[in-house]
Amino acid sequence: MVDLATHIGPLRFKNPVTVASGTFGVKDEYARFVDYRKLGAVIAKTITLYPRQGNPMPRICETPAGMLNAIGLQNKGLADFVTNKIPYFQKHRIPLIVNIAGESTAEFALLARELDRHRKAITALELNLSCPNIEAGGVQAIREQKLISKTIRAVRKETPLFLFAKLSPELGDVLETAREAVRAGADGLSLINTIRGMAISIYSRRPRLAAGTGGLSGPAIRPIALRYVYEVKQALPRVPVIASGGITTGEDGVEFLIAGADLLAVGTANFVNPRASLDILEGIERYCQEQKIRSLKALRGNLVPHRRS
Amino acid sequence: MYDETVAVLDNRKVNAEYYKISFRSKQLSRDVQPGQFVQIKIKKGFDPFLRRPFSYYRIKDERVEILYEILGLGTSLLADLRRGDTIQVMGPLGREFSRPLGEKKRILVGGGVGVPPLVFLAQRYGCYRFFIGTKSRREVLPSSEIHKFHAQVFYSTEDGSYGKKGLVTRLLEELLDKEKGDPEDYFIQTCGPNRMMERVMEIAHHHGILGEASWDERMACGVGVCLGCMVMTHQGWTPSCTEGPVFRFDEMRVVYG
Repeated sequence: MVDLATHIGPLRFKNPVTVASGTFGVKDEYARFVDYRKLGAVIAKTITLYPRQGNPMPRICETPAGMLNAIGLQNKGLADFVTNKIPYFQKHRIPLIVNIAGESTAEFALLARELDRHRKAITALELNLSCPNIEAGGVQAIREQKLISKTIRAVRKETPLFLFAKLSPELGDVLETAREAVRAGADGLSLINTIRGMAISIYSRRPRLAAGTGGLSGPAIRPIALRYVYEVKQALPRVPVIASGGITTGEDGVEFLIAGADLLAVGTANFVNPRASLDILEGIERYCQEQKIRSLKALRGNLVPHRRS
Repeated sequence: MYDETVAVLDNRKVNAEYYKISFRSKQLSRDVQPGQFVQIKIKKGFDPFLRRPFSYYRIKDERVEILYEILGLGTSLLADLRRGDTIQVMGPLGREFSRPLGEKKRILVGGGVGVPPLVFLAQRYGCYRFFIGTKSRREVLPSSEIHKFHAQVFYSTEDGSYGKKGLVTRLLEELLDKEKGDPEDYFIQTCGPNRMMERVMEIAHHHGILGEASWDERMACGVGVCLGCMVMTHQGWTPSCTEGPVFRFDEMRVVYG
């Protein structure tokens, strides 16, 4: 028996496997493939204060070992989420991490205030400070660390809920941003969001995405995500990190645990294999059994340096 | 819906441009209807990473057949598969074409690789007229593939190398102009390039005839999660993988011309 339980401050997860926001729907979309109660938690697709129509088509395109997306945070808004989605997770006792995005600091605060009223049904909040696909409030607007800190402080005032700040790898000095986020009141970090990329159809000479550019995800970005998780955990070992970026197999999950990740968010792999999250969980368990690792504590952050010759 | 690994039974060229892959699946063949699709993971590993959606072409007992054209990396790898190779197949997915039409006459308008799902529909449920348009005779299906249904089939090719020269939508217009029937008597179902279907919808709208189009958009998940394959309906952006791919003409918000 392998003990996969993962403790983060006051939070108890039965295992470290969760799903990345936007890749698992907002309610029970994958319930016919996955028993949600077997996952450490579910991170729902980003909720905004008001419904969003999202971007024009085409919104996605495949690229080597991954995909670009410019969905544009299409969602039905906070009121629908509270009324129609939260009760599902509560009823089935599924640990729910709610990902929110505001177009302004005030909107972030309002979202947090409203969700705080449903605190009992919510395990944590994840602040989407890094969506590349919206004009206001996305990567472009939140380039400045000051704005990130301001947003986190505003949310912190509204709720005692555990806060993960989801940071972009494009924020310049990620270590400095991570430190700032923690100073401003974030309890944990989520690393990484997609990285902006582009593809062009050479015959029409049009960008493959109507939005021009989009967020790159999938195995193509995994080494980059791993490096960020590793560096941030080296610098801030006590700050919990949700790792995401191309995690597709159990081996990938183990790699991120060794780098120090606390939780593992399976993202684009869900689109290819709806059972990916459970397959990854089983893969981690199998690895631990084979390696005679009884508890993830023995694995997490336990990177072995090369011997100097 | 099922997701299973199946062995390829047969994979061969059926004309100058199209291929047909077959595999056996009791589960996938059981409830499938014309217009639905499967998501195929063509190759293990990370590149290509996503599955590819394919419409069902035909079911023969437990044998599933899919007709495809090489359009990129995924389909070219699919064409390399041989008997005994395995693929991961998820389906049946999506909303199918309406089947019984009461007293209405079913008119089918297919373009290019959009023809196969309509052949499946015609074979199972019959049709009144079947208009098939392709670029040239290279894409015309051999008669061994188009049989077992009683309908008049009319061909057009853009280069005039087979059937009438010109666009297939011209054939539809000519029929409707000639018959001058009660629009209530007809129902049009179409599958093909989006621009062709837009024209079909425009003609249908002009004649007051209802119908359905199988809309083709790039997909990632195929099950309504990624919101990548959206179609603009009167409800706003709607995922074509779960709410479609078959939409009623009057559900869609299309700007003609």
